[in-house]
Amino acid sequence: MTVLFAQILQQETDLNMIIQTLFSFAFIVYLFYAQRLQSLQMLNQIEATLRRLKKIRDEARGISINAINEVGKPGVDISAKVDRIMEFISIPLTEMDPYGIVDKLDHYLKVNHDIFEAEVKAIAPNAAEVERQNLENLVGLTFELNYIYKAMRHNYLMGKKTMNIYIILQVHMILPLIMQLVESLTVGIQATREGIPIGDSVGPIVAGRLMKDYPKRDISKEMVSAEVPFDGRTLIVMKAKGPGGTVGTPDEAIMTALNEKEGKVKIIIMIDAAGKMEGEPVGAISEGVGAAIGGTGKEKFKIEEITVKYKVPIHAIAIKQGMEHTMAPLVEELAEGAEKAGESVKRIIMDYSQPGDIVIVAGIGNTIGVGQ
Amino acid sequence: MMKTHSQGGSAPPVTGITASWVNLAIIVVIGILSLVSLYFGFKSFIEDQITAYTYLLIGALGFAAIGYMLFRGGRPSAQSKMDIPRAEIITTLECPKCNLRRVRDFKQGDYVFKNDEPCTRCDGVMIISRVNRKKEPDKEKKQGVIE
Repeated sequence: MTVLFAQILQQETDLNMIIQTLFSFAFIVYLFYAQRLQSLQMLNQIEATLRRLKKIRDEARGISINAINEVGKPGVDISAKVDRIMEFISIPLTEMDPYGIVDKLDHYLKVNHDIFEAEVKAIAPNAAEVERQNLENLVGLTFELNYIYKAMRHNYLMGKKTMNIYIILQVHMILPLIMQLVESLTVGIQATREGIPIGDSVGPIVAGRLMKDYPKRDISKEMVSAEVPFDGRTLIVMKAKGPGGTVGTPDEAIMTALNEKEGKVKIIIMIDAAGKMEGEPVGAISEGVGAAIGGTGKEKFKIEEITVKYKVPIHAIAIKQGMEHTMAPLVEELAEGAEKAGESVKRIIMDYSQPGDIVIVAGIGNTIGVGQ
Repeated sequence: MMKTHSQGGSAPPVTGITASWVNLAIIVVIGILSLVSLYFGFKSFIEDQITAYTYLLIGALGFAAIGYMLFRGGRPSAQSKMDIPRAEIITTLECPKCNLRRVRDFKQGDYVFKNDEPCTRCDGVMIISRVNRKKEPDKEKKQGVIE
């Protein structure tokens, strides 16, 4: 290589001198400004994404306002109120003393939920309960999109102000993940607007199919249950009360059912949507043990606590799906997955319980577009 | 859609020399240098092949760098096609009595396990058994997954 360059440099024509000077100049410029050029290029990409994000956020806001006007018939301009909800803040709990943190979190989440519910009720006074729950989901999605946009904008402007490559690089690195999250939220807009079952609804679909022909009762807040006879066993099937968009309070429902039966429950089966790894098919079923429930972890904690108290094993059925499916209208593979999961529930009941036993079957997830 | 209402935030401000302008300038400079290099490569091909290959290599690398820059820094207009997507939704109805199955377009108010409409074959009531997105066969891609 050195020999080659030496041969080129030996030729002393005018044009050769010009091109060599240009190359040397470009090299020197790049030597001093490479990092800055790279920063500018990354900022350019972040800015393009941010513009797209703003457009999505504004469109979601427009859809929310439209839906509230159509369903809730407030009779006044509610755009300022929607903007206020979009700026709603939830100050995180202090974890300096972790003792009692789960109860604190439980209380905090309930207050959060109640206030959000009251705010939506105030701007959509004429909406029926199901419609109001769907509107809560829709406004919630808009809120999240707004928050992501604001956080991204903050980091972008910080990077631009300081021109610090490490700040810019951090935002740039997570850009594809952020956009994946944003896309998974945007596909939920149509579902929440029209009350269509989503990927997360697979758990309630499985439970709903088991309980649909039997009398139901409210077992805890926004949760229904039914006693279903099954091959000599008694199934206590529970799910969030549909078809409005809610996840209910499955921890409280399981605790109530266990306490009512004084712990005389053979097994608990929990069915929930679970994240799939790349390469795994959508709608694949995985069986295992443990509390199949996501969220903040407080529900999981409470379910684990009560099952340890009564020594009741929990069987988990996970219906696999990607992040892009969780909030999106249900795809055919997941509808089929829910049917397969129903078969798994029946098989687990037959394998792990005897006639005369009581089995709790809990369908976990958002029950939007799923009745019972 | 009510898009005329006031917005909660603002678009990122663009002041001074924009990053896209700098990118364009870099691309133009590299492009010119690469062209000149290719010219020299072809010109000196008969006289001195080693020099010619070096020039050609430099020229090709320059164009490769331009391609890389264009590929990485996608323009905003290319990204924003349809921002909030709409899927085609179908409702499947089943008669529990005669097992008749019927598929129709989703109507607002449809939900799974809803007693919907009288069965056209018997005197039963059809129940909505599924509400899901219509499969789009064109969009299915074989990913060549190692199983």
